[in-house]
Amino acid sequence: MRLLIAVITAAVVMLAPAVADAHAHLDHASPPVGATVPTAPPDVTIWFTQKLEAAFSGVDVSGPSGVSVTAGKPQISGNTMKIGIKADGPGAYHVRWHAVSVDTHKTEGNFTFSVRGQ
Amino acid sequence: MLNLLIYARAVHYAATIMAAGVAFFAVCIAEPAFRESSGDLLVTTLRRRFAWIGWISLALCLLSGASWFVLTAASMSGQALAQIYANDVLWTVLTQTDFGNDWLARSVLVCVLASTFVPLFSANGSASPWLKAAAVVLAAALVGSLAFAGHAIGAEGAEGIVHPIADVLHLVAAAAWVGALAPLALLLAATGRDAATLVVAQTATLRFSTLGVVSVATLLLSGIVNTWYLAGSLDALTGTDYGRLLLIKIALFFAMVGVAAVNRLRLTPRLAVDTDAAAEQSARRALCRNATIEAALGAAVIAIVAVLGTLPPGSHADHHAAEGSIPPDAAFQHIHGEDGMADVTIEPGHIGTANASIHLLNDDLDTLVARQLTLTLTAPAPGSKPVTRAAVVDADGTWHIKGIALTTAGNWTVAVDALLPSNKHLKLAAPIEIDPK
Repeated sequence: MRLLIAVITAAVVMLAPAVADAHAHLDHASPPVGATVPTAPPDVTIWFTQKLEAAFSGVDVSGPSGVSVTAGKPQISGNTMKIGIKADGPGAYHVRWHAVSVDTHKTEGNFTFSVRGQ
Repeated sequence: MLNLLIYARAVHYAATIMAAGVAFFAVCIAEPAFRESSGDLLVTTLRRRFAWIGWISLALCLLSGASWFVLTAASMSGQALAQIYANDVLWTVLTQTDFGNDWLARSVLVCVLASTFVPLFSANGSASPWLKAAAVVLAAALVGSLAFAGHAIGAEGAEGIVHPIADVLHLVAAAAWVGALAPLALLLAATGRDAATLVVAQTATLRFSTLGVVSVATLLLSGIVNTWYLAGSLDALTGTDYGRLLLIKIALFFAMVGVAAVNRLRLTPRLAVDTDAAAEQSARRALCRNATIEAALGAAVIAIVAVLGTLPPGSHADHHAAEGSIPPDAAFQHIHGEDGMADVTIEPGHIGTANASIHLLNDDLDTLVARQLTLTLTAPAPGSKPVTRAAVVDADGTWHIKGIALTTAGNWTVAVDALLPSNKHLKLAAPIEIDPK
């Protein structure tokens, strides 16, 4: 019986791997997701759970006035994406990202952080 | 388009495994066995049949690989199939992505491997030992490089090195076993005419038996390493399409190993050492039939792999299901913290009376158990008083609050305070957008 369990476990273990895939999900960000920071940061950096394809990944940040505040193109390397932003006063900043991981899968998401402004 | 991708993947996996498998079989099993043969006609016929398998597999490999590439380029770029030709998308994918670079390298491998097939499968078996070795290395590279077309890559650190290596070994071992079954069945079927050719069947079967044991052991070890990185997904085996398909695949694998065990433990000894010619012939016929059955089961496994690769694994599917079920008029916020995260849904997400539901998750995206949970909502207007409400938990582990008065539109602040079984508080806060109506 113990041998049977060992064999079944081994088989489950060996058959799972070749087929599982992974997507690039948001791991953490700076400023942190949902955080309130005293002043607008010069850039937003997002760390993902997978490496990214720079050609098909991107990010847009809009400020409290609702317009895009991104400055320049996103810098994408490994599993991080970094975008410069222009200050748009206190309030909520919306970050919308889309990512293609190196295993070709597409993900997208958004989050906000707030600037207190003092 | 997803269906097309599944078909392209299935054909490509099968064709690659067949192309590599027939090369492995010719070099490691058939040619050594042919040296024992006195029947030139048999050898010539078999070489010609192996050549057919090799050339058709390589052609299918190229065609299905091109389809897979075009469909993936469309999916990566988010553009329609008709548009990707106009917008340089194919070129960008080919030159600027890991997937494209891998495909470029694999196209070259197909061409170089094809050039070794000409002498390898020539009627007089003129291939030199160096060329045979080159064919084996190229075939292993062609099937192993499938690992870099997707799933095992993308991680950082040790996982980014160990997981792809294990996946390469997994694919090469699968090709050496499953891809060699069809040529083995052909050889066993063709060697029955007289006792003189039976020695070819005996040598080939004994050599294949060794190759099979090495392949299954490699599949097992590489699989254990791979799953180390995917331990979280085992919970989802019965609850998701991915998990259920995986269980079917495991059952098929057991059937294959069962047939292989009969071959190795009962039929191979009978074919190899039995002195009774009739018993030898019946063992040969049974082995031929079993190799065909194993190959059919292997084809089913490959079809399942083609589907599984397009599905998210169990743990991710769970999470997507939660996000996918957000009602259109609800406000939703995903809050990430050090010790866990919360999916907060407020429905309807506009001024009026609303209900809130909160789903706590750990880093593995499993439901996080809490002893109690309070939700604090603060209206956007300056000086607004926060309203704190206690939530009740349902059978699924989701927390609910009914009858929340949302008085103004704008960016509210939502804060979750959960008391975990460890007596630690999990505190999460984020803005959430409430619409005017």
